[in-house]
Amino acid sequence: MANRIDRDERIDLTPLLEVLANRFRPRDDQEAYELIVGACQEAQRLYGWVPPEAAQAIADHLGVTINRVYGLLTFYADFRTEPPGKHFLWLCHGAACYVMGSSRLIELLRDRHQLVDHGVSLDGELTLHVFNGCLGVCDLAPVIQVDHHEYWGRLTPERLEAAIEALKRGDRLEDADGTAG
Amino acid sequence: MARLADRQAFERYAAEAQARWERLWAGDHWVISVGISECSIAKGALETYRHLELLLAQEGIPATLRRVGCAGWCFAEPFVEVRAPGAPPVVYGNVTTDRVPDLVHALKRGEVKGEWALGARADEPFAGVQPLSQHPFLARQRRLLFADAGVIDPESIDDYIARGGYRAFLKALFEMTPDEVVAEVKASNLRGRGGAGFPAGIKWESGRRTQAWPKYVVVNSHEGEPNVFKDRRLLETNPHLVLEGLLIGCYALETPYGYNYIGGEHALAVERFQEAVRQAYELGLLGDNILGTSFSCHIRVRTGGGAYICGEGSALMYAIMGQRGQPRTKPPRSVEEGLWKRPTVLNNTETFASVPSIVLNGGAWYASLGTEQSTGTKLVTIQGPVKRLGVAEIEMGMTMRELIFEVFGGMREGYRFKGVQTGGVSAGPLREDQLDVPVDFDSLTELGGMLGSGGFVVFDESVCAVDFARYLMAFNRYESCSKCNPCRLGNPALVEILDRIRHGYGRPEDLDIIREGSKHIIELSLCGLGQVAPMPLLGMMKAFPEEFDAHIREKRCPANVCPISEAVLAIVGDD
Repeated sequence: MANRIDRDERIDLTPLLEVLANRFRPRDDQEAYELIVGACQEAQRLYGWVPPEAAQAIADHLGVTINRVYGLLTFYADFRTEPPGKHFLWLCHGAACYVMGSSRLIELLRDRHQLVDHGVSLDGELTLHVFNGCLGVCDLAPVIQVDHHEYWGRLTPERLEAAIEALKRGDRLEDADGTAG
Repeated sequence: MARLADRQAFERYAAEAQARWERLWAGDHWVISVGISECSIAKGALETYRHLELLLAQEGIPATLRRVGCAGWCFAEPFVEVRAPGAPPVVYGNVTTDRVPDLVHALKRGEVKGEWALGARADEPFAGVQPLSQHPFLARQRRLLFADAGVIDPESIDDYIARGGYRAFLKALFEMTPDEVVAEVKASNLRGRGGAGFPAGIKWESGRRTQAWPKYVVVNSHEGEPNVFKDRRLLETNPHLVLEGLLIGCYALETPYGYNYIGGEHALAVERFQEAVRQAYELGLLGDNILGTSFSCHIRVRTGGGAYICGEGSALMYAIMGQRGQPRTKPPRSVEEGLWKRPTVLNNTETFASVPSIVLNGGAWYASLGTEQSTGTKLVTIQGPVKRLGVAEIEMGMTMRELIFEVFGGMREGYRFKGVQTGGVSAGPLREDQLDVPVDFDSLTELGGMLGSGGFVVFDESVCAVDFARYLMAFNRYESCSKCNPCRLGNPALVEILDRIRHGYGRPEDLDIIREGSKHIIELSLCGLGQVAPMPLLGMMKAFPEEFDAHIREKRCPANVCPISEAVLAIVGDD
């Protein structure tokens, strides 16, 4: 993981600064504090994580300390302060998914892909985020949201394995949401 | 669009919107609606929409294609509602892209695809299709909040106004004093829908009595529990209803500051609520001097970062204030000292959404629904292997058995009912023989369950009670904010004991240690999360003592889930 943090590429802050200038214009201190989380969410949407430069830019823009920004980044589970892998797996571990067997999926990812919650797989392809709440698509349980738009549903360990293979090849999985059968 | 200057301007605007709505449904042309919500998008509703658009054009069917919200029937997503000229609207379920060509061709021939139909929006059967209101999922429901779900376009304020929207707000604004509004809410005995069940009217009244200024009204749409998804569906399908409730709340508290705190992961709910706020500003239903009166109101939307604890009142307020969402000791309660240390009235999304109908029809009317102590309707979600999964709105007092086996259709093929977890991660389960309990605030609590936010999880024989208890405890361990010791240290200790039991090293005295430790956590924790954290474990131990016994004394897991059984299997395999 350490080599992933010493990255060579520089983060281009222009898009973030643009969003901040356009949409994050606090009228007073109170509003500045209220906007920190939203600004961090924008940064994560743009970069896939919140790089230190972005956190500093947010702190400067809103006139709050960098400690305050990191206080929030480390408290809220949604934020990543390390770069993610190429693909983002958001595994729902809500009660519905648990009842339908999401624990087995977590075990599979851990044992076969050395992938744990908030971790990146060794090949840098996959990031896993186990979501403790509910994704709200319980009809597809157990379900994984992939790269923020696609869903793999009604997963078994075998189907998950096939889905990951397809994802790494760049293919789409047949019957991804599992509703055809 | 110009801001509406006064009540007459609104009435004119509403009349126009209504006329447009009636023209749309005059019955002389094709109207096709596709339900677009988080759950239907997951099942490919956007593709269905695009395919429909393309094929309708190809086949030369001049249809008005609309996007509507979710109607609660997750099991039938994506759904398409077709209104052919001269026929009542027919709702088709599970219209995936591969079904679209068949459907369009049937429509072209003037046929009805009876086998895919959920029902027709008519009083009589139409072409062999039963009325939608008689569909077993809907027949026992009483829909107030979800009345227009799947009918109106959630991104259109005109649709909402055409269906009578913002009437309650106008009634409050022009015909009632804030005190009268509070009196109606109090008379309705509307209890907080977030879980605690505290009467909203009393909260509003104490909010009014407090003298400090400014005051804040906050909607809690955080919904971070692992077992419920009703608030985000409500926001996705009818955001203006929540906004109208919030507006009435601000009027009752005579404050211009309203907030909606929405969980950051509910992207579509956030988007649609923000759009609703934007439209309301544009029309002059938000902003300064609304409709020419002295009442002003400004709504801010704030999103959460994925911490369950931020659903707790004081933690939520810290989260809005840009701090770590950790609860504080009470008193002072938040109606005295809340957001920015000012009086704050905080209620659940569903509570606010219930307010417009109370203002419109009176508190007494609302109190006549449901049971005496738990009035009105409740949004409930059931998860797990049931046939008809989704969001239902029922009158309080329906029994759990009717809810699971009639509304939600009972267990899927091949699954046998074992129990139903109530109250999310904050209470215990019910067994089969306890299912005749009415679904309301007090009856469930008597049995060690909880209505909570209305999320119930049905589980079958493949789920081990010990493992399920471990799952629920692990959730509470993970989501503990770490501010107070009993919760921060106690929950991991309980998970550890459970892990020991799951691995086959359980000792009979472990159960006593669990009980003793739980007592400490319950009595000494600072906030609601800690005070109820051990409840699911204690509930599981009470409901399924024989399973804990099997793990500890016989060293086996009846459901073959726990690691204990893998060890046994490995030994057998070596033979």
